[in-house]
Amino acid sequence: MKQPPDTRCLVLACGNTLRSDDGVGPWLAEWAEERFSANSAVRVISRQQWTPELAEEIAHASSVLFIDCSVDSTPGSVKLTPVEASPVAQGLGTHHLGAAKLLALSRDLYDSLPPPAELLTIGAGSIELGEVFSEAVTAALPSACRLIEETVLQMLNQSSQRK
Amino acid sequence: MSQTITIDPVTRLEGHGKITIQLNDQGEVADAHFHVTQVRGFEKFAEGRPFYEMPSLMARICGICPVSHLLASAKACEAIMSVRIPHTAAQLRRMLNMAQMVQSHALSFFHLSSPDLLLGMESDPELRNIFGVAAARPELGRAGIGLRRFGQHIIELLGNKRIHPGWVVPGGVTEPLAPAKRDEILAMLPEAYANVGMALAAYKQIADRFSQEISVFANFPSNYLGLINEDESIEFTDGALRLIDHRGGIIEDGITANRFTEVIGEAVENYTYTKFVYYKPLGYPEGSYRVGPLARLNIVKSMGTPKADQELAEFKQLATGPIESSFFYHHARLVEALYGIENIERILADPQILDKHVRAVAGVNRLEGAGQIEAPRGTLSHHYKVDDNGKITWANLIVATGHNNNAMNKGVLQAAKSYVRGGKFTEGALNRVEAVIRTFDPCLSCSTHAFGQMPLAMTLLNADGEVVDTLIR
Repeated sequence: MKQPPDTRCLVLACGNTLRSDDGVGPWLAEWAEERFSANSAVRVISRQQWTPELAEEIAHASSVLFIDCSVDSTPGSVKLTPVEASPVAQGLGTHHLGAAKLLALSRDLYDSLPPPAELLTIGAGSIELGEVFSEAVTAALPSACRLIEETVLQMLNQSSQRK
Repeated sequence: MSQTITIDPVTRLEGHGKITIQLNDQGEVADAHFHVTQVRGFEKFAEGRPFYEMPSLMARICGICPVSHLLASAKACEAIMSVRIPHTAAQLRRMLNMAQMVQSHALSFFHLSSPDLLLGMESDPELRNIFGVAAARPELGRAGIGLRRFGQHIIELLGNKRIHPGWVVPGGVTEPLAPAKRDEILAMLPEAYANVGMALAAYKQIADRFSQEISVFANFPSNYLGLINEDESIEFTDGALRLIDHRGGIIEDGITANRFTEVIGEAVENYTYTKFVYYKPLGYPEGSYRVGPLARLNIVKSMGTPKADQELAEFKQLATGPIESSFFYHHARLVEALYGIENIERILADPQILDKHVRAVAGVNRLEGAGQIEAPRGTLSHHYKVDDNGKITWANLIVATGHNNNAMNKGVLQAAKSYVRGGKFTEGALNRVEAVIRTFDPCLSCSTHAFGQMPLAMTLLNADGEVVDTLIR
């Protein structure tokens, strides 16, 4: 079977486009796909949920930028935080995994060091049924795009330096 | 004083359910029920919609087997249109169905059940998951992911989406297979064969350790229903249904989709939203039966592909007649996954597979239509009635979990009687009661058309109905 290509930066977004601000992950993934369409070292994957199969994609990547909305943050706040693989992977669900558990699963299954990873979140104002973002999230989109661009370029640069 | 045990939620299932175990005054298990606790009502939502929208609407019932609903719904629509779809479209749909069956069986075996099988029913529940499997047998964890990717990627190649592809439409499919996509699928086959071979070898290595579970995991005589071809080989997309008894004798054969409701009925119990499906001539509950991988392998005489036929011959050595223990659903699932890969290879070798004629077009020519297929979990039927404008006036779906409902409940009771002693249960005992349900791989969202979180839970009640113990994960 054809293996996923070696990727210097994997952008991994999740969210449900029918649940208002939860759809911001797929929206930003689409933006990143277009922004880096000419760069084959960047691979963008958007899913409704992160499932165990994505561990294989992570194992083939030099760095990972996770993108998700956050119900625990102030609506519209954009945050970038480093992600480490969970030391012990417990209480796993098969329908949805968090970023840290996905890194851990990739490490355990593919016997590879987890790649440097960051999680970009945008605080959700509403995750009710709907296809329109809240005002807070709409206003935050330009800064989120800028941060994605900076982070991806930095990850590509660091990946080149490590080679 | 009698007591009741509740397992709520039951974990590692597709959907949300719970188990209650009723104890008598002596602390022995008197009764047990598997409850599916949420309702959705898709049939009602469908009323008033144009019939040609139904496949894509019905696919939204489930993210695990949307392809099954797509296909059963499209077939019901084609009965309304009175069309026969082009040969190539039929072949492409078969391939799509096989891809879904392979990925779904991989999910059931590797992600949901292999923690019990490889790590043990009594192993640390915190590690009894795919992470535990990754630590103990990483090659099997990778095989599971590889097999899932194989099926999902074929669905994506054919339907342009991994979940809820809109490619299947009434009359056929929206676009033919491109040569590059055919070649990409062919290139994936060797790894898929290796992965399923590894799973079969691992299963056979450990199955003997579970003789006690085999003896009490829904191990009782029952009837079996499934699609079969005229040459008595296995069938998932076309053919007609055969019902056999516990000795292997044919009760009824040639049940086509338009005869389905003549012979199949649905009963209701007050403790669950899932209906109990039964064979009308035998009545309820005597006419209950099992569907899915175990039933299909019990019914057929051959798989129709060489590697799977070798595995079927070995499988049938497990008993002289139908194999009764639901523990063997795991084994049957792997044999079917192997068949699915072989069948995909065979379909791709069809000289007409790249033909561009893949869709028949027609309007309403009948006011009623039904379609039936084999979903990964068992027989799935969609039945619609429309008005002269093609708007749905009535819809009924009968899904695998409804067919298996009686057997699942009897199986829970059998296992509870074996593992709950003196009004007490250990975590390992609890896990075994849950594991009986997992053998059937039920899809609860489909069966009630449920909405919400996935897991399942357990409660112990005394004779007065008071909760004396509960386990929620």
